[in-house]
Amino acid sequence: MRLAQQPGERIDRSRRIKFSFDGRSVEAHPGDTIASALLAGEQRVLSRSFKYHRPRGELCFSGRCAHSMMDVDGWPGARACSELVREGLRVQHINAWPSLRFDVMRATDLFGGPFTPPGFYYKTFIRPRRLWPVYEKVLRNAAGLARLRPAQDEREWRTEYRRRHCDVLVIGGGVAGLQAAIAAARSGADVVLADEDLEPGGRLLVEGAHEEARDLVRTAREAGVEVLEGAAALGFFDGLVPVWQGSTLHQVRAARHIAATGTVEQSLVFPDNDLPGVMLSGGARRAAALYGVAPGAAVLVAATSDSGLDDALALYRAGVRVVAVADLRDAPDSADLAQQLGAAGIELISGSTVVRAAGRGGVSEAVTARVDERGVARSGTTKRHECDVIAVGGGEVPASSLLLQAGAHATYDERSGRFVAGELPPSVHAAGSVVGHESAAAAAASGSVAGLEAALALGIGGSEVEQQLAEARERLVAAGGPGRVAVAPALATDGRRGGKAFVDLDEDVTAKDIAYAVDEGFSSIELAKRYTTVTMGPSQGRFSQLPSARLIAKATGLSLGEIGMTTARPPWVTVPLGALAGRPFEPAKRSSIHGCHRDLGATVRWAGDWRRAYDYGDPQGEALAVQQTAGLIDVSTLGKLIVAGPDAGAFLDRLYPNRLSNLAPNRIRYGVLTSEAGRITDDGTVCRLDENSFLVTTTSSGAGAVEQWFSWWLATWDMDVRLTDVTQGLAAVNLAGPKAREILSSLTDLDCSAEGFPYLHARQGTVAGVPCLAMRIGFVGEVGYELHFPAAYGEHLWGAIMEAGREHGIRPFGMEPQRILRLQKLHVIVGQDTDSESLPAAAGMPWIVKLDKEEDFIGRWALELAADRVPESKLVGFTTANGHVPTEGAVIVRDGVAAGQVTSSRYAPKLDRVIGMAWVPTDLAVDDAQVQISDAGRILEARVTTRPFYDPEGEVLRS
Amino acid sequence: MSLAFLSTQGAVEGVVAPLASSPMERVARAAGAQFVFRAGWNVAASYGSAQREREACAEAVGWVDLSHVGKLEVQGAPDQLVALGSELAGREVAAAGGGATPIGSGWWCPMAATRVLVLLPPGGGDELRETIAEALPRLAPSASLVDLTSALASLVIVGPRAREVIARFCALDLRPAASQVGSFHPGSVARTPGGILHEGPDRFRLLFGSALGEYLWTVVADAAEQFGGRPVGDEVLMEIDRETDGTSAHA
Repeated sequence: MRLAQQPGERIDRSRRIKFSFDGRSVEAHPGDTIASALLAGEQRVLSRSFKYHRPRGELCFSGRCAHSMMDVDGWPGARACSELVREGLRVQHINAWPSLRFDVMRATDLFGGPFTPPGFYYKTFIRPRRLWPVYEKVLRNAAGLARLRPAQDEREWRTEYRRRHCDVLVIGGGVAGLQAAIAAARSGADVVLADEDLEPGGRLLVEGAHEEARDLVRTAREAGVEVLEGAAALGFFDGLVPVWQGSTLHQVRAARHIAATGTVEQSLVFPDNDLPGVMLSGGARRAAALYGVAPGAAVLVAATSDSGLDDALALYRAGVRVVAVADLRDAPDSADLAQQLGAAGIELISGSTVVRAAGRGGVSEAVTARVDERGVARSGTTKRHECDVIAVGGGEVPASSLLLQAGAHATYDERSGRFVAGELPPSVHAAGSVVGHESAAAAAASGSVAGLEAALALGIGGSEVEQQLAEARERLVAAGGPGRVAVAPALATDGRRGGKAFVDLDEDVTAKDIAYAVDEGFSSIELAKRYTTVTMGPSQGRFSQLPSARLIAKATGLSLGEIGMTTARPPWVTVPLGALAGRPFEPAKRSSIHGCHRDLGATVRWAGDWRRAYDYGDPQGEALAVQQTAGLIDVSTLGKLIVAGPDAGAFLDRLYPNRLSNLAPNRIRYGVLTSEAGRITDDGTVCRLDENSFLVTTTSSGAGAVEQWFSWWLATWDMDVRLTDVTQGLAAVNLAGPKAREILSSLTDLDCSAEGFPYLHARQGTVAGVPCLAMRIGFVGEVGYELHFPAAYGEHLWGAIMEAGREHGIRPFGMEPQRILRLQKLHVIVGQDTDSESLPAAAGMPWIVKLDKEEDFIGRWALELAADRVPESKLVGFTTANGHVPTEGAVIVRDGVAAGQVTSSRYAPKLDRVIGMAWVPTDLAVDDAQVQISDAGRILEARVTTRPFYDPEGEVLRS
Repeated sequence: MSLAFLSTQGAVEGVVAPLASSPMERVARAAGAQFVFRAGWNVAASYGSAQREREACAEAVGWVDLSHVGKLEVQGAPDQLVALGSELAGREVAAAGGGATPIGSGWWCPMAATRVLVLLPPGGGDELRETIAEALPRLAPSASLVDLTSALASLVIVGPRAREVIARFCALDLRPAASQVGSFHPGSVARTPGGILHEGPDRFRLLFGSALGEYLWTVVADAAEQFGGRPVGDEVLMEIDRETDGTSAHA
């Protein structure tokens, strides 16, 4: 029902818009939320609960509870009380079937109680075991609150990351936050204020001071504050605070943080405290003040402090009938409030609280009583009240999650009955009710204090700011402390059986569940949380933290201080996964020739952090072309380092187990890098460019690690060496095959003859006009030239070579044919054929380790030790008899026991047989030894070879 | 020179003139770029409407591929680098962390105490390149010089929304209070190693690995288009520089 126009309401009554709820047309005003419009239309049931599928109505009217979660235009997690109505919006209920009114899963509430205690899925559904798959399917189907749309494109929306640095981040836009922001900004600080509500202003907006609130927001903006509305701070990560606003995640990095996060109103625990119509008194007040909606026809207010009385009066003044106020205290702090209630004709029932709600499908009656120390109604004090709303105020809990995440510790304050944040960590300030400054005057003063302190801590402002700070501190002292609050019983009841008393409305956890968990030994609050899921629902324990602690205290006999709180963890509000994912772009490296590969129809795959041509549709044909005519492969992904300086040779001698300082200019040597433990970490070639310069190549995926490894040792050894990573600056192609020499000769003046340009030599010159370093090396086993040249000429040179090679039948080849070809030569791929335990000698490269080197080198000690021992296994080649290509990773078995592993396997078209590499027991690492491979349930016979399958003497390679 | 194969300077014109390409050439072409051949490079000179490009730079944001502009890395002893930089700049240059210093229309950008990135002038850096080669043995005899023109790609983000666009993919602090013109910020750019030179009011030059060119273009375009941004040819940028006598690119 709509009330008469309220002074600070947000809705525009002059206009009407329509949206649909479960297919039914609903009328609203601009400024309405979905929940306010539905409530205005007498729709009290908004959702069904998570476990028992009980009907639920609005609770908080602030977008924090799970009751108002709905599917809005396909977005299943929207909160109806914070989602503004738009024309044509399609809203649907969630978690109920076939309808919100009649939900078959309600049977779990009516009949399933004995079968669904806490942890029931570990207990009830474990026998017979063979039925678990069926149980699992049923449980999974029943779990969750809503469904994502099945099609990916229907559930995508754009989310943004925005990085924002500032001097001061103020979290919370109530009077304290606004005053803090204004004070800091006026002192000269760059300030961001994030407020999670639809409109900053906090309680001022509903307490009749909306104009003051809006003035403060205006003033803050004029002072230069960036005000983020509807923007929740998700957590505190070492100074980085992610703030989620609409579809943007602001990553705010501030020098100082001010938490003005306020408090969270708590519910009361009594039988059937979840009936639609039971709502927070602050929520009822917000509905009336901001949206001009009556929460119901007749309201009973259950209070534990003066703020409940204030809420009752505000509802009355708004035009809502308040039948009574049950105040747990014997008398209010403010006699004036009591007098006003009396003047309004509202009965004040002191010392009482609600002990039961009654009604079908919603509240129709509230039962109040005085309660004893156990929370049970005292005889003769029970009263029944006809009402359709019970507005409860179970006290306020500081919203201290961010402070605790920042490093503050929570302690229980007996006087206020709350957990409060203790000493604040450096760079963090707090203001307002989160630290006990509850009245508007106190909150404002504490905000000013925090803002000015933050500015001064940043070195902003001088004596004038110090003077302002002194005055603000005086105002804060004058404003006084918080009022008296009665500590609500853990569970208030009329002593009758029946009715579930919920402590966590999100997760349908009852007071009985908590007692059950404690009985089973889950008596610490952290264990009880995990066992019952209390505080783990969408509202992140906002409304259940304190009640659950009280119930555990009651069950264990411990004090609340001893029980403590669960660890505060981000995110503070529920957040879509898309918000964390950001924009869907992967930092993929592409060689400068990549476009050519795409033009040629290459299959592109990831190789480390590169996108690489895997093949061009015919890997075996491409491999054959390399061996019959010529092939061209893009190897720009190889890591490339320039190592220069007078000590460059000595530096490399220390890093590699072989000797490189004696390499002559324009000569190339293969090198393996090892760890301190002598294990292979990477490999590549080293080419000496001149007396003081080397080009070191690494594996494609190892480039970054090698560069870091070199830099780390260089810093340690302090040698006169300079490193430059030119991986991305140099493109590289490998032209290989019988026709390679002829093709290259047509593009360069270099002497490409075998004598003029021998194997493992390098030459510099131009190829197709492009300056190149040409290296005679042959990973694929054919006559080959690896050309390194400025990446900017990638497409030009690739095109020139392909054009020159056309008449010779040149074909591009990708990674897959390259792997076939190198396997024929038993050339190792580090990381595939080796692992973190592979030693060079065992990997078939004993010749690479020069223990006779005078210089010490990385891994020497370990390699010397290894030289004296026979390794358990060795890397060898193998062929299979039946043509079956074993899976890479298949197991070498001996007497039925795993004894090794296949690392590479392919069908080699040139050889017309299956070849591979494997680690086998050392005694089997001899030519023609037979080994067995267990692959996908069958045993394959294989024959060992220690020599390359193709060109074992390297005659082709050197020709 | 043993490192000649690293530099596009060594190209020779044969039957077909070698054409150096930016790593973003294909995406720029797809965005409507019109290319001109300039100093051996295929340069995205315009995108069809100089007026719209200028408007983007003046009212929203534009991004310009300047990958073809020369980049040199000098490594050496800190005092030698300061001596070299100071002679080139005609005034005392800062060591690492002190920001960049203009060298004519180019920039001296210290990356670390022993490493400097020299950005050559957009209009052709041959003269400065030769000056450095001449001064190096004299002022920094143990220093090394490597041409990184092909290794580093570059995008200039220019316009009143430039900071807001960069904030979508980069956490470096570019607020006016934290970054004056001439500031150089080595760091992560769109989750990749790089750096940003604050080269003029509302104008930032992004430097990043050339293999990431296509990725960076996609990221920048995705962010900038939200603010009405568009790709801009380097002719418009040069025109703006001429009109402002270089102050759009320098303090």
